[in-house]
Amino acid sequence: MKVKSFFNIDLSIFFSMLGLMTIGVLFIYSSGITSSGVQMSNEYIYQIVWISSGLILYFFVMFFDYLVIRKWSFYIYLIFIFILILTLIFGREVHGSRSWLGFLGFGIQPSEFAKIATILFLSDYLVRKKKSIRNLSTFFTAMVIAFLPVVFIIAQPDMGTSLVYIPVFLIIAVMAGVKKRYVLFLLFSGLLMIFLGMLPAWQKYISREEIGFIKILITDDLFIILVSSAAIVGVLSLIGYFFTRRYYFYWIMYSFFLLLTGLLGSLGVRSFLKEYQIMRLIVFLDPSVDPRGTGWNIIQSRIAVGSGGLMGKGFLAGTQSHYRFLPEQSTDFIFSIISEEWGFIGSVTIIVLFCIILVRGLILINNAKDSYGHLIGSGIVMMIFFHVIINIGMAIGIMPITGIPLLFVSYGGSSLWTALISVALIQNIYLRRYRY
Amino acid sequence: MNKDSTIKLKIYLFAGMVIIISIFYIFYLYDLQIRKSPEYQSRARNLALRINTLPAQRGEIFDRNRDNPLVINVDSFAVNIIPAETDPETLETVIDELAEILNISTESIKSKIPDNYRNQYYPIEIKSGVSLSVINRIAENIEKFKGVTWNSKPIRSYLEPGSIAHVLGYVGDITTEEFQVLYNKGYNINSVVGKSGIEKYYDQTLRGKDGIHYKTVDVQGRKIQNVQVDDLLPENGKDLVLTIDRHIQKLAEEALGERMGSAVVLKPSTGEILALVSYPWYNPNDFYDDDRGRIYRELALDNRHPFLNRTIQSVYEPASTFKVVMTTANLEEDLFPVDKAILCEGSIWFGDREFHCHVPEGHGWLILHEALEQSCNVYYYTLGLKYLGIDIISDYARRFGYGSYTGIDLPGEIPGLVPTPEWKERVFNTKWVGGDTVNTSIGQGFINVTPVQMADMMAMIVNKGVIYKPHILKEIRDSVTGELVEEIVPEIIHTSTIHQDTFNTMQQYLRGVITDGTAKVVITTKAVDIAGKTGTGEVGLEDSWNAWFVAYGPFDADPEDQIVVVTMVEAVNEWEWWAIRAANIIFQGIFAGETYDEAIDSLRWGWLRNKRKPQ
Repeated sequence: MKVKSFFNIDLSIFFSMLGLMTIGVLFIYSSGITSSGVQMSNEYIYQIVWISSGLILYFFVMFFDYLVIRKWSFYIYLIFIFILILTLIFGREVHGSRSWLGFLGFGIQPSEFAKIATILFLSDYLVRKKKSIRNLSTFFTAMVIAFLPVVFIIAQPDMGTSLVYIPVFLIIAVMAGVKKRYVLFLLFSGLLMIFLGMLPAWQKYISREEIGFIKILITDDLFIILVSSAAIVGVLSLIGYFFTRRYYFYWIMYSFFLLLTGLLGSLGVRSFLKEYQIMRLIVFLDPSVDPRGTGWNIIQSRIAVGSGGLMGKGFLAGTQSHYRFLPEQSTDFIFSIISEEWGFIGSVTIIVLFCIILVRGLILINNAKDSYGHLIGSGIVMMIFFHVIINIGMAIGIMPITGIPLLFVSYGGSSLWTALISVALIQNIYLRRYRY
Repeated sequence: MNKDSTIKLKIYLFAGMVIIISIFYIFYLYDLQIRKSPEYQSRARNLALRINTLPAQRGEIFDRNRDNPLVINVDSFAVNIIPAETDPETLETVIDELAEILNISTESIKSKIPDNYRNQYYPIEIKSGVSLSVINRIAENIEKFKGVTWNSKPIRSYLEPGSIAHVLGYVGDITTEEFQVLYNKGYNINSVVGKSGIEKYYDQTLRGKDGIHYKTVDVQGRKIQNVQVDDLLPENGKDLVLTIDRHIQKLAEEALGERMGSAVVLKPSTGEILALVSYPWYNPNDFYDDDRGRIYRELALDNRHPFLNRTIQSVYEPASTFKVVMTTANLEEDLFPVDKAILCEGSIWFGDREFHCHVPEGHGWLILHEALEQSCNVYYYTLGLKYLGIDIISDYARRFGYGSYTGIDLPGEIPGLVPTPEWKERVFNTKWVGGDTVNTSIGQGFINVTPVQMADMMAMIVNKGVIYKPHILKEIRDSVTGELVEEIVPEIIHTSTIHQDTFNTMQQYLRGVITDGTAKVVITTKAVDIAGKTGTGEVGLEDSWNAWFVAYGPFDADPEDQIVVVTMVEAVNEWEWWAIRAANIIFQGIFAGETYDEAIDSLRWGWLRNKRKPQ
């Protein structure tokens, strides 16, 4: 590939990305300043270093044809699974989760990069299985590929990062053309799982009343009866379908297995999620349950954003952030500072810049000459998009607090590099659109 | 549709979804940052500063001599846990060891820090009233007690516990219900608040005004040092000087002894209360005991009701003491000639009912003052039913302050009852009958009064037509300089149009009760000449009665020098006609300047020394 073709990259995406990173550095600087104007943190300098090195990586990724990368995708995937296991064993514990791996004096979060590795290999697998794409076995294997890393990431534990895998898997599966009922099964059973899993906590902290149905969920005997009856009905209709081939048996089976998965999953949700993680969701439903604890963050962040007004309080003039009312200001809650200091104008700027990257990115991958480009492109766009809606939604109180960074903007080398590599892959696809 | 165009459609749909959600976010931000911005801007200002209270020192309480305080503040500590600063792994052992040092149960600590408090940086009080030596034990091992802190929290010490408890009351942590009532009056959820007595009635004066320590806090409520806002200094509570004389209080307390009942010593010319005794009482210092829960529960469940201040919260039939009101009414209204006699034959029939006198064989012929001296029921039955009638009787009862609040500065007073035919019809839906009037005439039946009202009744006679509001507070003084802030001015609550002559005659009659009447054998004090009236109330017991004695002395002195004494011994005690004896001791003690022991020696009642308790 010729060097001069680097100049053919999509400039609107490139400059939007630069814009976001610049705003990021400015507000990482702002977040490090206390109310008395003392600079407490050097994070912004580190971030500049990460951006510079990341940009080199960005061009490096564009240099290889994405079809070449595809050939390596299985090994990349395997390597990251291996690194994730290593992280669990040797990782450094920060904020109660073992997600950092020391590397030449720097700490990196392998779970960030693992997202790209998964997109690359998952897309590769689904493209290879084009012939049998509508089979259940293909769907199952794809699910295993997508959720194997999640097992290790949840174990760290890092809920936020794990969550990203779900929409990414779903969009790639849809784009690849798997049966919609499989995707819907996954979607609904997931929602059912969370819903049923949260109900006992909801009863305990919000409704504070005895509710008969919830009692079934938390009483072991009743729960076993419920699960077994769902399983029996499911199996019976499976047998019925096998002998009669009637479609209503199929759908009865579908619904009861959906219920069964939801029930069993809810058990997993309840036993696996830590108290504070359940509290985050509870508090999201009703911040007043714990206004001094977890609810505090939601309330404070909304106050920061809301008090920004149209023009904001001015750069470095935010009160909420500089009195340190907000937690994790340079990472999870950086959007709150931007909105507080630059107001509505600043918030819209961020959203518009992301829209340019995402929508323009989708337009570019639409021109890709092969399905692999379509799949990894839409996976990447979904990943960035999910980060954006969760992170901003969290700052304005319409999404639960999950600790997902705002890509390009939030402080942190791993998430920044991941974002840069992702966009580089889109540019990569774009650059090779005329290949025959 | 071929495969390629399907995927392209999906990508366009995806792009559409991205745009729609982004637009939704922009609209939401518009709502948050533009439309609701003013609301959030004010919240941002308010939350930057957090306030901590600097507690004001509670005022001390003195008796009228103002030499030794009755209540002081004693340094003490409260032990707190800051949940977020504890180490979850060692929390269990910390709680165990803390429970042992503080001598409380681990469950009581755990119940105060529920799981959803585990992240908060607010100190949660585990125990108050902890001594310095216990704090030292914690401080020496502070590395073991991660997240445990303490702060100074003075406790009230009641220096002369005893019957004064009913006057002083006690304090305690504010309850949710109290907080709702007192909200916006300078109280917060950690306030210590008066629960009864003077501590409650004058809580606002005693508590002062808490100061405010402003601090700026960060995300988790942790303090930020570099923002300084001037503190608002606390304003200490005022000292109270009571009208109570603690020597007289002690004397009256010992004179009553361990008998359920009460004693009131009142200065009629001002309404000042010199002693207010109600037995049984409680020791407020016990409420700081480690075992306070049990102590409090036992007191609350005790069927002798130690929390009841019988002088203002119990009503009794005035019994024969009511003959004072009856006599006054007849003297003033002149409905039955004072020198005309009525024959007492031990009982009398009205309609189909026989009413008895306390002397079964009868008093014989009696005129008014003799009837009062001998407390003849038959005379007053006749006077009440035939001559005065219930309207005049209840009118005079009211003129003496019965049936209405005295307005004493203690919480929980009840007004008693003066019955009228209208009242009976309203409440019982039955007609007032002659028998009701007969009963009322000797202070039995529906009528009931408190001991303090009884003292006021006598004050009316002493003051010749005026009752001053009975009160406990004499002065409010600055706690630091001792300067007089406010002096309580006597306040008239009842003025009567009854002629002075009537009162003069009444005083002579009441003197007669002591010299020639029912109290003659018992009132033996030589220290002072007194006048008064006995009362013996039927309560349905075979051989015991509610015993009243209401008197004043010195008989011939200026009203400024006179005092009224009311003693009331409930029928549940063994009958020994103790009310009059107690009053005898009280008068002897006050006017001879003697203690209880000295007084009974002077009275040659040494054999009573071992009779603190009814035999």
